[in-house]
Amino acid sequence: MNESSVLIIESDPIVRDSLCEWLKSTGFDVTCAESAEGIVKIVEKRDFNIAIMDVRLHGETQLAILREMKAIRPWIKSIIITAYPQEETVLEAKKIGIVDYVVKPIDLDDLQRIIHGTIESIYKDNINAINIESSVESSTEDLIPGIKKSFAISRDNLALMVENLLKETEVVGVKAKQGKYVYDKISGFYELSLDYDVTVSPPTRYLLPERETLLKFRTDNNHRIEPVIKYTPRVIMGVHPYDIKAIELLDEVFMTHNPDPNYIARRENTVIIGVDCLRPSPGSFAPSMGTNWTETGFDLLLTDIGNSYIIKIGTERGAEILAKYAKYRLPTGDEIVRQKKVRGEALSRYKLALDIPRDRIPKILEDSYDEPYWESRSISCLSCGSCVMVCPTCYCFDVRDEIALNLKDGERFRCWDGCMLVDFAKVASGENFRRDKASRFRHRMFRKGKYILERYGKLGCVGCGRCSSACLAGIASPLEAFNSLADNIRLKEAATRVVQPAKQEQDIYIPEMAEILSVRQLTEKEKVFELKLKSGKQLGHYPGQFVSLSIMGVGEAPLSISSSPLRGKNFELAVRSIGDVTSALHALKAGATVGIRGPFGNGFPLKAFEGRDLLLIAGGIGLFPLRSLIQYVTDRRYDYGKVNILYGCRAPAERVFTDELELWKNSKDIDYHETVDRPCEGWTGNVGVITNLIDKVEIDVKKTMVAIVGPPIMYKFVIEKLKKRDVPDAHIYLSLERRMKCGIGKCGHCQINSIYTCQEGPVFSLTQLRSLREAVL
Amino acid sequence: MKPKVAFFDFTGCEGCQLDALNLEAEDLIDLLNGIDIVNFREVMTEKADNYDIAFVEGSITTEGEIERVKKIREQAKIVVALGACACIGGINCLKNHVPMEEALRIVYGKDAHYYNTIPARPADAVIKVDYYVRGCPPATSELVKVIKALLLNKKPDIPNYPVCVECKMAGNICVYEKGQTCLGPVIRAGCNAVCINSGRYCWGCRGLVDEPNIESQKDILTKYGLTAEQVIEKFKIYDTCSEVLK
Ligand SMILES: Cc1cc2nc3c(=O)[nH]c(=O)nc-3n(C[C@H](O)[C@H](O)[C@H](O)COP(=O)(O)OP(=O)(O)OC[C@H]3O[C@@H](n4cnc5c(N)ncnc54)[C@H](O)[C@@H]3O)c2cc1C
Ligand code: SF4
Ligand code: SF4
Ligand code: SF4
Ligand code: SF4
Ligand code: SF4
Ligand code: FES
Repeated sequence: MNESSVLIIESDPIVRDSLCEWLKSTGFDVTCAESAEGIVKIVEKRDFNIAIMDVRLHGETQLAILREMKAIRPWIKSIIITAYPQEETVLEAKKIGIVDYVVKPIDLDDLQRIIHGTIESIYKDNINAINIESSVESSTEDLIPGIKKSFAISRDNLALMVENLLKETEVVGVKAKQGKYVYDKISGFYELSLDYDVTVSPPTRYLLPERETLLKFRTDNNHRIEPVIKYTPRVIMGVHPYDIKAIELLDEVFMTHNPDPNYIARRENTVIIGVDCLRPSPGSFAPSMGTNWTETGFDLLLTDIGNSYIIKIGTERGAEILAKYAKYRLPTGDEIVRQKKVRGEALSRYKLALDIPRDRIPKILEDSYDEPYWESRSISCLSCGSCVMVCPTCYCFDVRDEIALNLKDGERFRCWDGCMLVDFAKVASGENFRRDKASRFRHRMFRKGKYILERYGKLGCVGCGRCSSACLAGIASPLEAFNSLADNIRLKEAATRVVQPAKQEQDIYIPEMAEILSVRQLTEKEKVFELKLKSGKQLGHYPGQFVSLSIMGVGEAPLSISSSPLRGKNFELAVRSIGDVTSALHALKAGATVGIRGPFGNGFPLKAFEGRDLLLIAGGIGLFPLRSLIQYVTDRRYDYGKVNILYGCRAPAERVFTDELELWKNSKDIDYHETVDRPCEGWTGNVGVITNLIDKVEIDVKKTMVAIVGPPIMYKFVIEKLKKRDVPDAHIYLSLERRMKCGIGKCGHCQINSIYTCQEGPVFSLTQLRSLREAVL
Repeated sequence: MKPKVAFFDFTGCEGCQLDALNLEAEDLIDLLNGIDIVNFREVMTEKADNYDIAFVEGSITTEGEIERVKKIREQAKIVVALGACACIGGINCLKNHVPMEEALRIVYGKDAHYYNTIPARPADAVIKVDYYVRGCPPATSELVKVIKALLLNKKPDIPNYPVCVECKMAGNICVYEKGQTCLGPVIRAGCNAVCINSGRYCWGCRGLVDEPNIESQKDILTKYGLTAEQVIEKFKIYDTCSEVLK
């Protein structure tokens, strides 16, 4: 029933009451007022779709009220009733923006026509306001006339609708269970959680149950075989858009290509009532997959806007349900504004995103088929299948026979299966076409990002994040895979750029010009320089990389980049004045020009650090390179576990970036400890070697990654200490300083055994270093 | 001719055999239409030495039992291990794990050293076993499934995937999400994850899958707060013996 709201302002009690009765009888939610005064208060309190107002001759007050109403709620459609249609008052009212007027004595047919026209125009406004992609809407609007409209429904009326549905059909919905959410049969509206984040398993199990009989047979002389198509008509309540998108993919797979009668029967008897996801789960990346909203695939779709819901009709079946079981009304303008607002807020709550546009995924996968990534990432895969079992877009199944003990009657059933399980691709001869974990792992990702898309035109992943939370090994997220591979390719492209001779032969040694923007004195011998490439390009570095700075005529020196790449186009080099180039640099002021080549080297293993606890240790000016990582980590703090920073200097006066040290010390997100070898007067902090600080930190051996930058002697003792705490070699990274010249793996200065520090370094894991006999620690 | 079936028990609680009888009357009749039970200590008094299919229940824990089970093998065309004790050694194996270093080695599966008494072992450590009815106690349905497969001369379809698959099919919330631990990821399914369905966790009574990723499972248990000793305890309860003795 349509319950749109109307406000009547009429002083004549007879006219007022009869209007009121008449409108109520046609389903409107009617509010009456005797006079124009007091109307402002009413309108401030609540919203209406339509206002009908009696305007008298010289109705100055009423016109003022009309204006005021317009100012408070501009969307309310006003209709005036007047005995003097030619008068100036009516002209003035038209200027204010009334939709129409009715002449007294009122012709009800006339008024009805006007009201209907007004409601139609509200529909149109709403459609434009509510649609995310208005272009999509206008075309479907033509295809299914009369539907695709949005209404508002109060929570109570929604409850009523569900209770009414329950009287006639099975309703499945989202319930809270042990701190999580699951789909289950409900027996009342009160059981529903419509504001859940994600369910443990997807609603697709109601379309493709875990086990389903396909055939029944009897193996006597005349082999009888009967198809079995069993389904329960049901309503699924509260499906999120990404799951609706997943169902659309299943529809494509099971209904359009070799139609599957069992699926079709079930699908046609399933009503889908969706709900916008306003509280995304931390693992969801639906916006990156384009599945956080949907315009299709549902019968009805709800948006929770506080006291009420916007309810959108998606199909004729949806419209019928609404008409038969619910009381609804036109949404007020206020409600439409609120819907936009809650949707905007929801979008800002997603934490994860693809680093690349999703249409690049297939190409990235294609280029990564032979990457070592598959092997290394799948080492911990348990082949447990959890990732595919909880995925809304996974639909693989096995078909088997089961026979009764009489050995005559039997059934053929299908049950869930998945490509991550060891025997999935095993053939009768015993050969397994996907023998190793890596090939299965790769296959699944290719399904998600490429194969399904190519066959069905839709990506095989809707970004719900269920697989990543179900995977105990923590490796199942397609987002992580796609981003890592994209990263890989980016790095590779960067690397090929360096070695590609044809294009860059003459370039490799030519520095780009950079301007010194500012100079700050850090200590007596150290300064930090802020620079910008004159080309305006971003340096494009990773924390731990370095550049070669040249002062033409003096020479070149390798210098670490001290700032985070996430902090804009400029970059900082912190430099100790120690020889020719560095002292020449110290003599320069803001505005001067220097040469820059790079960035060079590998930088810290950012991917390996993600999600881990970090222990970052700097000695002396080792903080110069480490600062870049520290800034990076604080900028993406949510990507890491606990962060501990240890800093040691010979004397208080040698501490660099003291303002930042202060920030870290006071930060709640970071644990910062420092010490000096030799205190001076007024020093109240720790005294002693940096290894003492290590005793102060809790180290979770499994989770902690360590980065150390400092003088060689410090490495020796810090490593000894860490080994005592059982930190594995593979978790310890050091940045090595070596004599360098070219920075591009040519000159040979920086070589350690077979390795070029400027290429494979300067950051190495202790495991790598142990295999390098020259890298004496 | 109906195949003759015999049940033999070794060291175990005999819970497995008792369970085998727990059939609906109708099914029992159907079953007896298909096979002749010639030796079933729990239900019959007369014994016959002539049988085609031998169900062996319990683990082998004495020299005498070794001889006996070998004799059974010679007699029977098909030998089926019945229950966790016979399939994987089962709870009896707990006695094998004495000092810590020993246990470690067992879990790591590198080597096996035993004490002077004979350690408990599954049937297949002594003789060739054709089929397994797993679980402690094994489910009647699975026993029936194996018998049916034998009668139809096909392989019983016992999954080689882990319990997690059936656990997800059942729609459970993973116990790890509640901060508990579970061996489901490496244990062979087939029980429909009964323990998790009923609010507990998998303790491994059905033995490992063919290619368990033990290293990763150990990492996960450690990540969820178990100490090295506790991790070993987890594995000890049921499924280490077979790994070691095979
Ligand atoms: C990867 C890397 C990152 C570095 N980051 C920084 C930094 O952020 N801030 C900073 O102040 N210093 C840094 N250094 C040390 C810095 O490179 C030297 O202090 C600088 O090269 C000295 O050059 P110079 O011309 O001033 O001295 P000179 O004594 O004239 O040096 C002559 C040549 O010897 C080489 N050389 C001398 N000392 C070193 C050295 N310690 N390391 C490598 N080559 C050397 C240089 O190539 C230089 O061209 C870094 C070194 C490396 C290898
Ligand atoms: S692959 Fe993972 S994130 Fe993507 S739809 Fe499946 S469960 Fe969701
Ligand atoms: S092949 Fe794998 S990823 Fe694809 S639908 Fe099947 S189980 Fe899911
Ligand atoms: S990726 Fe994770 S969830 Fe999937 S099979 Fe491997 S361990 Fe299991
Ligand atoms: S509860 Fe156990 S069996 Fe179930 S999914 Fe979790 S680990 Fe696997
Ligand atoms: S869940 Fe684990 S312990 Fe329980 S019956 Fe199955 S295999 Fe045995
Ligand atoms: S600086 Fe690395 S090879 Fe020359």
